[in-house]
This record gives sequence, C-alpha cells and structure tokens, in this order.
Amino acid sequence: MTRTNTSRGQGRRAAVAGLAAVATLLTAAGCSGADTAATGGEPADAAKLKLTATTAAAKGTLDKANWLLEDEPDSLDLDTQGTSAGRVVLTNVCERLYQLQPDMTTKPFLAEKAQTPDDKTLVLSVRDGVTFHDGSKLTADDVLWSLKRHADPDMEQADEFGNVKSMKKTGDREITIRFKSPDALFTKALAGDAGIVWNKEQVTAAGKDFGTPGQGDACSGPYELKSWKSGDSITIEAYDGYWGKKPLTRQVVFRWASDSALVNALKTGAADGTYAESPNTASALRTSKGLDQHYGPSTASLVLIPTARGGLKDPQIRRALSLAIDRTGIARSGYGGLVQPWATPVGSGAWGYEKPEFEAAQKKLSTAAPATPTADDLAKAKELVKEAGAPTDPVVIGTDSSQGRTVVANAVRSALQRIGLKGQIKTVPTAQFEEFYSDPAARSDIDVLVGDWYISKADPMGFYDNGLSDSSNNWVGFKDATYDKLVHRALSTLDDAKRAELAIDVQKRFVDAGVWISVAQVPTALVISDKLTGPPASQAYLYYPWAAELGPKTAKDKVS
Amino acid sequence: MLARISRRLAGLVATLFAASFVIFAAVYAAPGDPAVFLAGGRDKLTPERLAQVRAQYHLDEPLVVQYGRWLWDCVHFDLGRSFKYSDQVADLVTARFPTTLQLVAYATVLFVVLGVGAGILAAVKRSTWIDSAVVGGTTLAASVPSFVAAIALVSLFGVRLGWFPVSGSGEGFGGTLHHLTLPALSLALGALAIISRVTRQAMADAAASDHVEAARVSGVPERDIIRRHVLRNALGPIITMCGLVMAGMLAGTVVVETAFGISGIGSLLVGAINTHDFPVAQAVLLLMVTGYIVVTTLVDVVHPLLDPRVKEARS
Repeated sequence: MTRTNTSRGQGRRAAVAGLAAVATLLTAAGCSGADTAATGGEPADAAKLKLTATTAAAKGTLDKANWLLEDEPDSLDLDTQGTSAGRVVLTNVCERLYQLQPDMTTKPFLAEKAQTPDDKTLVLSVRDGVTFHDGSKLTADDVLWSLKRHADPDMEQADEFGNVKSMKKTGDREITIRFKSPDALFTKALAGDAGIVWNKEQVTAAGKDFGTPGQGDACSGPYELKSWKSGDSITIEAYDGYWGKKPLTRQVVFRWASDSALVNALKTGAADGTYAESPNTASALRTSKGLDQHYGPSTASLVLIPTARGGLKDPQIRRALSLAIDRTGIARSGYGGLVQPWATPVGSGAWGYEKPEFEAAQKKLSTAAPATPTADDLAKAKELVKEAGAPTDPVVIGTDSSQGRTVVANAVRSALQRIGLKGQIKTVPTAQFEEFYSDPAARSDIDVLVGDWYISKADPMGFYDNGLSDSSNNWVGFKDATYDKLVHRALSTLDDAKRAELAIDVQKRFVDAGVWISVAQVPTALVISDKLTGPPASQAYLYYPWAAELGPKTAKDKVS
Repeated sequence: MLARISRRLAGLVATLFAASFVIFAAVYAAPGDPAVFLAGGRDKLTPERLAQVRAQYHLDEPLVVQYGRWLWDCVHFDLGRSFKYSDQVADLVTARFPTTLQLVAYATVLFVVLGVGAGILAAVKRSTWIDSAVVGGTTLAASVPSFVAAIALVSLFGVRLGWFPVSGSGEGFGGTLHHLTLPALSLALGALAIISRVTRQAMADAAASDHVEAARVSGVPERDIIRRHVLRNALGPIITMCGLVMAGMLAGTVVVETAFGISGIGSLLVGAINTHDFPVAQAVLLLMVTGYIVVTTLVDVVHPLLDPRVKEARS
C-alpha cells in the first residue's frame, strides 16, 4: 500500500504516492515487500483496534532520538515539493498560523488571535515575541509574504487561496484577508502547509536552493534544522530562543529505509521510532519485543473509484458491489488487521468538530457498506443487479502489485462473482498506477480503481467537493444539483454545528450514489521504543511538533 | 603503448557517446509521465497544468532536441536539477557515490581474497576432499541470489545475533566497515564463487604446461613452482575476471542497498526511475556505464603488462 505524499490543494489525498514502496518496486518481489506481513504473526482484530489521539505524557528529557522515515524527503520547502517525509521533519521546525492539535481540532497559533468581523473577512493578529532561528523577529510582513508565496499558482498550496480576494497588512501586527464568499475551510488550511510562516529574507537569499540539503530552514519552531546530509541523514536540534515550551528531546536524527530494512532497524533498536506509512510495516512489528504501537485517527481510507465505463456506470451495480465486499477479510489478509471496515470515503481523523454526530452518521451508513456481508446483504445485492439488467461484460479492476491492493482487487472480484457478475484484474506497475488518477486516457480501459485517499484538513467537507458535477475526481459523472448546492453551502457555512449537519447530508448522498465505494479507514500507526512516549498518534503528526513531546516513560532523567 | 592507450581512449569516448544516447532514449521511453509527478497533488492533475509543466521542463520537445540540450549541458559539467529533489544532480550523486564505491571496494576485497584463496587451495589440493568441498561450497554460493543472501545474513547476524547493524552506512572508518560488512558479503558471495572457479581452472591449466613439468622434473620445490610458475601464469585470466566482476558490481548494488537501507547510487537510481526523475536517472546510468567501461579498459591495459604473451599476440 502506498501512501507517502499528502494532499495538497483543496486538502485532498494527493499525489504521486508511495515513493517508499515504489523505490523497492524493482526488488520488492524478492527481497522486501513480501516478508513484512508474513513476519507479524496473527493479524490484529480490526474491529477492536483502539484509536487514540495521543500517547501518555513523557516523564523526563531525552538527549537524542533516532527516527525513521520511509523515504528521504524530496525537499524541505513544502511549497515547491510537499511529501509526508518532509512534513514529519519540518513540522518540528516550522510553525503555522493555526495549529492542528492531536485530537484533530485546530486553534490559532502564530496568529495569536483571529477575528471575523463579517463572514467574508478574517483578521489575524500576529503573535509577538517570536523569533526565527537566525534570531530575527517574526513580523507581519513575513506573514503576508509567506501567504503570498503559498498562493502563487506554481506552489503546492495555491488552490487553498482560490476564494481569497485580498490579503493586506492592516496594522503593525495585523493581516486582513478578504474572501469572495465565506470560506469555512480556510483557517483549517492555515493549520496545514498553507499557513507556514517563512523568514522572507532567508528564503529569498537561498533562492532556487531553498529547501535543498545544506540550506537553512527559515522557520520559528521548537527545533532548528542542524544538517541535511543528502542521502544520509537529517538532524534537527532544539532551538534555544524558542518562544514557547522547551522541547523534551534535545536532538532528533532522521534516517530513512523502506520495507524490511525499516522493520529490521526498529527490531534491532537501531531506531527509536517511526510513523509507519504502511499498515503492513506496523503489522510486521506488532509482536516485536521492545516496541510499542499506537494507532490514531487519520483521514485516510481505502476506496474503490469507479469509472463511467462498463457495468459500474450504473449506481445500482455500485450499490450492489458495496453490499457484497468482504471488508473484514480485506483488513485481515491485506493489512494485518490494521485497517478498519468503513462506510464513508474519509477516515475518522477528519472529524475535527461535532465528532459524535459524524460517528453516528458513519455507523448508520454501514448498512450499505457492511463489514462482512450477510445473506440478506447478498440477496439485496443480487436483486439490485437483476434490476439493473445484469450486465455480462467483465468488470475490469485496476490495481498495482502491492500486497494490500492485490488483496482488495481479489476481494472485489470475488464480491462480483458472488452477485453474478464477472471481474477481471488489470495490474500495472506502481509508477504507472498514479496515472490512473490523472489521465482519463490511462484509465480508459478499467472500470474501477483500487485506490487510497486522504485529506490534509480535519473537515469532511475537505473531501466531498470530489463529488461535484464538475470535479475531475468524479469519474462516474455523478450529477446532482442538490448535492452541488449543499456542498457549496457547507463550504461557506462558518458555524461548525450547522456545517456538520450539511456535511452529514452531503456524505449520505455521496455514499448512496456510490460515487466512490468505501472499503476501510486507515489509522495512523506510531511504532516506538517501549522506553519512550509522548508524541501524538493521530494524523496530526504531519502538522504538530511531535518531537517536542517525545521523552522517556519513566521519571529517570535520561534514556540511553 | 601510447598509441594503444590513445586508441583505447578514443574508443572509450565513442562508447560513452553511444551509451549516453541509448540511456537517454531508454529513460525517455519508460512508461509513465514525469509531468504527473512534477505537477504535484492528484487534484492538480488537470490537462492544462500538465501541459504547462511539460513546457516548463522542455518535455514537449522532440527526443533529439532534448538529448542535444542534455548533452550540451553535460559536456559543460551541468547535469541539471533533479525533478524530485530540486537539488543539483551533481550534488545528489556526489553525496551517494562514495557509499556505493566503498561498498563495491569492500566486496571486491572480500571476493578477491576469499575467492582467489579458495581457488588456489582447491587447485593445490586437487582431487582431495578439500577440492570437493571448495567446488561444492562455491557451487552453492553461486546459486544464491544476492537478495536471498542479504535476507539470510540480516536475519541471522543482524536481527538474531545482533553482531552487525542492519541499516545505514555508518560513520568513520570503523563504523563504515562495521555497517558495510553484511552488505559487502551478500554482494561478494556470488562473485566469490566465480572467482574461485576461474582461479582453480587457470591454475590447473598453468600447472599442466610444459615448463612447469620441466621445473618439477629439475627438482624445483613445489612451493616455488606454484608461486613462480603456476600462479604467475594463471594471473591473467584471474585479474581479468576480477575486473569484470567488480565492474558489474558497480551497476548491481541496487538490491543490496535496498535490503540494507543504504542510500547509495543504486537506490537513487531506482527512486529516480520510479518517479521519472529523468536528470537523475540519466546521470546515474551514465556514471554506472562509465564506471564499467573505465574498469574494463583498465583491465585490458594492465593485462599485457602482467603477461607478456598477450602483448606479443596483439602487436
């Protein structure tokens, strides 16, 4: 399973996935991929997986931690090249105008205060007393300059600013942002990469080389970038002039390895921890001595994305397929039990507000997406197939050869068989697989894609615009004027309770229409030495200075 | 001699030129579109954006034009910037090349010392149980692919016994040696088998020659015969083979680097191919081909110096 890059733009699961997994593609068949799941012993029971936002607080300080990434970061300039690996490092070094909390709520951060004098205006007060790592003061000019850099059409976060009419400095420490229409998701974007505040002077001086090995970091976070030895390691160190709380861990050294090399490094204690991108990595380490595992809410999910071709063009067939898939089986044999059968296309980490309401709504929808199909479900599915005229052409399932996707593809084929349809699996190399997402021509001969997705913002509405009539991710050509209207209304509803209500309505329509078919949610997995604790277990690890809270479990001052 | 070397040099440049075009075209022809990677997130992948990216990186120009542009920059020592890392390709390669070089050097020392040693032992103790043991052992070693050896070595000496680190390339001489032992061993295992076989056979051939018989009849001690006559005459094929195997290793470290989490140029290449990072893939491949050509040329040049018979035959 490949989930390396996060979403950019509207905050959707993005991009060129899985470099870590991809990097081993040539060799995976023999030397790596295959053995990770096999060494984990019994799979976990997905239904009983406990998701916690954070781990117990640490009781002391730590001199140095060795942390693993699944790949070397592409760049430490998240504006030009944003990947999870870069974010895991930089989230400790750079700060944002808002901050995503471990429980996936957001709060003003470098913007000390935020006011909305009217629905279309956001006034940010820039925090006083903050210095960048070069010692210079963080000013409102830096903030404005950073926002404008993020908004540049060539930059990763540009589409977060599509609704922005103007951004101006309106006081010594005050920035005023005006919108074309009310924008409920904008402050959530400011807790992501669109809210990073750079030191204008440093970024400008570095020019094209900003973010490459050997350059400074231009940020104000609890850690400063000490060194990046290309191909070897990245070291960050606590910044003495930090305005906030002193970090517990003094120095973190990041190295990278994939698949079995990563698993072995953790097993032998050569590394203290990692946020496992792939559930299979966590699964392989589940029974290892000396290691703890924590699972947390994330927005990621496994999904089937149907195209407007073949039998799945018909919503009734899509509903029937959803009823017949053995989601529990997929979780068990494809992902060591570390993913959970799920009825909506975004994981529970997206519930940054009104959590109980979203939870109840998700449960309700699971009748259309059962964990394990019952005889009734199958009967209902067959009925739907009959009504739809029982197409005879085989459904072509597009996948790559990664372990998880292969299992999902096979499960889809057997689900189709169970309801009297034929399935045919088409496997392409991982490098080519990504093109299915972007190129209608590339996916012109598949009926459904075994996909994965996640959004960077803790708000389900960051996802449901994918179902809009004109969205490039709405492959089945789902068109519903009411749906479109509700999405737009929700996106401009600033009141959380009201927006949640709209989101739940929108979500039901999306699932009922089977625009995408949800398979499972993919929790984040923190694998960490059993002597250490402290960092969050939720997807907030990408946007929250997790290393600052990493420390020993016992009151002893140091862990060797 | 000088004429011969300059002829070889000219041949080397011509080969490189041909290889560079093949490499460029092959990387270009690989399935998948680099623009998809360059454009950023999945939700940015509109046809307009992709077209814009293609234009920006000159990906929309004909192959020959792109090749010309690349070659021109190359001869000006500009390998371009990586699509993926936005860093200078030269920097990326320089940072990783020493690791791969150390790995190959270590493996070469291992397979030369152990392989030649085992071969000599087998040749000297011909038709004894020692000979059979060496032949049997090396046959087994030759049949084990390096990734299997890597997994076995890691799980036994790394994970179970904890004698060697299982990832990274270490710091300082001692650290590097410690970190690279298992990777070098897995890399050397197959080569070791080949070299010991070649050594054994070359020694056997040399031992059967008339002048060795003559020396033996005239009562020269067996130890001297082996050292002065047999081994010396067998050295040609042994060195040629060692050179070829080592040159091959320069391009074959990918699997071992991946298994041991070592960031060398092998893993850099795989990453570059998978993300369609053309500038990096082309530079690394070119470097590997250059390495291969240089080493084999060197062997060719050195060979006649060791064995005067070769020189006579050629001139």
